[in-house]
Amino acid sequence: MQNDIFKSPVAFAQAPLKPINGFVNGMETAIAIADKAIEASRHELLSICDVSALNRFGVKGPNAAEWLAAASLTLPEAKNSWTLQGKRELVLRLGGSEYLIEEPLNSQLVAQLNALPVNKAGVHKVIRNDASFIVSGKLATKLFSEVCAIDLSGDALEENRLVMTVIAGVSVTLLRQMLNGQSVYRIWCDGTYGPYLWKTLLGITEEYGGGAIGFSFYYENN
Amino acid sequence: MTSRIAKKRGEWINRDKPLTFEYEGQTVQGYEGDTITSALWAAGINVLGRSFKYHRARGVLSFANHDVNAMMTDGVDTNIRADVWPVADGMDIKAVNTIGGVLKDKNKYIDYLSPFLPVGFYYKTFYKPKSLFPFWEDKIRKAAGLGEVNFNYPRIVKPKKFAHCDVLIIGAGLSGLSAAIKAAEQGLDVIVVDENKQAGGSLTYDYAGDQTTADTLTSLLDSVESNPNIRLITDAYAGGFYGDKLVPLVGKEGITKVWAKAVIVAAGAFEQPPVYRYNDLPGVMMGSAAQRLIHRYAVKPFDKGVVVTANDYGYRTALDLASIGVEVVAVIDMRRNGAPRQLAQKVRDKGIPVHISSCIYEVIPTSNKLGVKAVVMSPYDDISAGADSGHTVRLACDGVAMSAGWAPAAALLYQAGTKMRYDYSVEQFVPDELPEGVFAAGKVNGIFDFKARQLDGQRAAAEAAAFLGKTVDVVTVPKVEMASPSHPYPIVEHPKGKNFVDFDEDIQVKDFINAAKEGFDNIELMKRFTTVGMGPSQGKHSNMNAIRILARIRELPVEKIGTTTARPFFHPTPIGHLGGRGFHPHRYTAMHEWHVDNGGVMMEAGVWMRPAYYQYAGRSMSAMEAVQQEALAVRQQAGMIDGSTLGKIEVYGADATEFLERFYTGKFSKQKIGESRIALLLDEAGVMLDDGLAVRVEAEKFYVSTNSSNAATVYREMQRNVQLWGLQVTLVNLTGAIAAMTLAGPKSREILTSLTQADLSDAALPDGNMTQAKLAGVDAKIMRVSFVADLAFEIHVPYKAGLHVWKQIMAAGQSHGIRPFGTDAQRLLRLEMGHHLISHDTDGLTNPFEAHSEALVKMDKPFFIGQRSLKIIAKKTLNKKLVNFVLEKDFTGEMPNECNLVIEDGNIKGRVTSIAYSKYLNRVIGFAFVAPEQGSPGSTFSIRTDSGAMVKATVVKAPFFHLLDNNGE
Repeated sequence: MQNDIFKSPVAFAQAPLKPINGFVNGMETAIAIADKAIEASRHELLSICDVSALNRFGVKGPNAAEWLAAASLTLPEAKNSWTLQGKRELVLRLGGSEYLIEEPLNSQLVAQLNALPVNKAGVHKVIRNDASFIVSGKLATKLFSEVCAIDLSGDALEENRLVMTVIAGVSVTLLRQMLNGQSVYRIWCDGTYGPYLWKTLLGITEEYGGGAIGFSFYYENN
Repeated sequence: MTSRIAKKRGEWINRDKPLTFEYEGQTVQGYEGDTITSALWAAGINVLGRSFKYHRARGVLSFANHDVNAMMTDGVDTNIRADVWPVADGMDIKAVNTIGGVLKDKNKYIDYLSPFLPVGFYYKTFYKPKSLFPFWEDKIRKAAGLGEVNFNYPRIVKPKKFAHCDVLIIGAGLSGLSAAIKAAEQGLDVIVVDENKQAGGSLTYDYAGDQTTADTLTSLLDSVESNPNIRLITDAYAGGFYGDKLVPLVGKEGITKVWAKAVIVAAGAFEQPPVYRYNDLPGVMMGSAAQRLIHRYAVKPFDKGVVVTANDYGYRTALDLASIGVEVVAVIDMRRNGAPRQLAQKVRDKGIPVHISSCIYEVIPTSNKLGVKAVVMSPYDDISAGADSGHTVRLACDGVAMSAGWAPAAALLYQAGTKMRYDYSVEQFVPDELPEGVFAAGKVNGIFDFKARQLDGQRAAAEAAAFLGKTVDVVTVPKVEMASPSHPYPIVEHPKGKNFVDFDEDIQVKDFINAAKEGFDNIELMKRFTTVGMGPSQGKHSNMNAIRILARIRELPVEKIGTTTARPFFHPTPIGHLGGRGFHPHRYTAMHEWHVDNGGVMMEAGVWMRPAYYQYAGRSMSAMEAVQQEALAVRQQAGMIDGSTLGKIEVYGADATEFLERFYTGKFSKQKIGESRIALLLDEAGVMLDDGLAVRVEAEKFYVSTNSSNAATVYREMQRNVQLWGLQVTLVNLTGAIAAMTLAGPKSREILTSLTQADLSDAALPDGNMTQAKLAGVDAKIMRVSFVADLAFEIHVPYKAGLHVWKQIMAAGQSHGIRPFGTDAQRLLRLEMGHHLISHDTDGLTNPFEAHSEALVKMDKPFFIGQRSLKIIAKKTLNKKLVNFVLEKDFTGEMPNECNLVIEDGNIKGRVTSIAYSKYLNRVIGFAFVAPEQGSPGSTFSIRTDSGAMVKATVVKAPFFHLLDNNGE
């Protein structure tokens, strides 16, 4: 894949941080933003990381579940919930008949799904352009209390539930998962809102003493 | 001289931290924890401000966050409420609303003119002669208002937060704290909020000379503190009650929006003043204000005073005053029966004379009218509210504490939808029917007995717990027989007036009588005519007396008068708090950084950030010049605009065609793959809402575009109708997922061809068609769309590749003179092409027949949205017609603007919807609505400009390019 074609939707919003950029899945993205110790302390307190570069696959339609099951995916049973596949690929069920699959690095699931033909009515592949962030740290709920009306400290995200809500005026999908042994929040929003949401969340995060961290903090990019 | 007394148990000041500040040029000493008022009063400063209208000297009134005559400015903030605002070391403050200082206020002469300035005088006085109204308006506006707005006020972000709980308890007094503990015992998550700096309510000051009730407070606070289920928030007030039990708590640092599953209002009650002449002088204050000064701030309210009361609370105040050495000259009880024997005896035992069936007829001011010299007491009949001015006694004193009753702090209960009733046993409005999940406890519920208030809090908590599904024993509150805490009519009339009911607005008893005489005898009308309750305290100390006065005037029971409407916010709330962080979401296209780097002058277009035009670094060019050059580039070489903001929706499924046929006015069933059709959307009334293109991508799949500002609306409407019609259709909103750009101009094909293998010739890709191909290495949809130029290509690629493709095209076009163009040039270009913009050239009433869009409306279809209305409209004559017009050649007059009116024989016939000078055509061109008879080519009409000049315009055909061929005709 030609490396200078794709850019993270929040790349220009991150530019003032002077990140070390690299290419992940062909997308230019911020690999590191500060040195490891600083990023680690931010991660502990409050941090935000752009992981828009992870590969995603969207599918929608009344027969989408059947089509995915035929592709050997284990699907979340409940609406607005999520599950993990064998290589820790996330499968999000968005409402009744729409799914978002996001793979970590070193997974081929998205490529396999993209390659699968849709020869069935009621299945529609959805082009995705998500800005996707990981929010972590012990002050995460304080951050969310400023931007989100839902009580995320309660049971809203328990039992692999996800919520589709509004954060700082932007529609997002939000869940909590264990990543590298730690509980983190995941956020997806329309990429065109990405720069705004990044700047807004980062601004508040910095007020709390936290900051941005790079992609490689969570994912080893080769 | 200092009025600070010996340390009091539970006082709110920290004597270890003295501080100094400036007040009106005078250095004042206080302590950490003092409010401005308490520190000034302790320093012997009793004139804290001037009244709003008559500029009368005022001191402490309520000392409970509604002393609106004691407002200060520190040069940055204004209208700082001195009674609650903490002093800070080095603070430099002045009273607002004065000229020359609070003591020598030059406007104090207005008080002498007050007989000539009754309420409503300016309504009747200044409206004629009409020519003088601006003069008077200017004077009145300058005289009105409190404090001066600081236009240099710094932007201090006050974040808004969200919080959640099972039970929100408003008020941390005896009832509220008792409720909190009871609710938390049930395992419920509780938030208790109180507007005071410390919790406790009247437990922190109402002691009747004996502080044993403070033990109760200590015990309650210990229980609250040790209970992890309780969050106690002080120094914040519950600002309002909204749907789903959303209550904003307003604190110094911002608003916290609390969503509660149940709400208990235990907000207490506001003490109400008796009304008599000169009840406003500095030194005259509520009994509870005197108690707060004593017990919270260790300040002696006055040295020698009287207590005038119409309930038992005055006796308790007298005992508190006596306990700190105030010489209480008398307790003057307006009631005929006085207080219960035991309480009255307790007061008499302190050597304080008690006079029942008596009132203060008037207060005698000091010679400078800045304080109290004496009171004149007279016999009083509390049924007829008559004072016997023939038998008065003068009592020398320097202060008055007054207690006449209480008004429930029920604003949030009203906002929640509570039905209130008037309870004669307590002479106040109490909740009658509470909304589901809302409970009331304590004084606001009409419960005043100490033990009963505690129980009432527990009862409310038990009911809230039961409401939330807990099994909990019912708590019963036994009825306690006691004298009414409020007097039904604590009003003493005086022939010389100045017996104030509303201290915010200087409203006297006679003002109400006059208002009623003039017919403003409904509480809402009276409020607006007299302005009672419209000042900063919002009637907290005046509304109840106003209602009682009106009831007496109209000879109606109080409940027949009713109350005024309680609206959020409960206290005036700073705009900065309401604004919070000011979240203002913007959408950015993939090419945003390129626009910024290349001189794009960015503007907000709805939620999108778009370049209006490009101002190249190092070149000085007006916006007008830049726009014309960009447009010329499109006409002569090539230009490219970022069109990513277009709505982009995929419609697919077995019923996709059927859906579009119903949704839009056109026909799609015979549309070939790769072809596009105009998609005109109407509402049910036949009004034009949106237009875009529907491209058939596959047999059962369409790619539909919408106007930039309508994407979300159209998508939502599509979703609604898919469900409504039960069609097999799936919709995907790709607006944010796809970047789009339009390359236009005679060189556009050549430029694009260098980046793709696709055949873009007219034969292979005629106007209105789409092909899918690799472009600069990226999968793209390439469409011929002649919106801004006859030869133009709309290119759609995945968002993440948008910047790459844009850069590649710009690079490829460099040698062809390509320029980026912004939205301003786009508007001009489409105008030259004769394309109207829906919502810009049309309005919320325009149908397709009026906007020459008949060809897009297929009335022979079985159904489409708006068709039924169009059938009716089609039978009627048109009201207006959208036409293309030009101004005269070489027009040099005043340029008309959009929205300038089309005038014919003095009548409005229409308006200009778009107008611009086109350098390419060297002509002013535009769109206008005109009368139908003015709509044929060659017709002329007149436009009235902003200055009133009339400009002749001629209707022409579109596009406007024929003007080049026909010598401009």
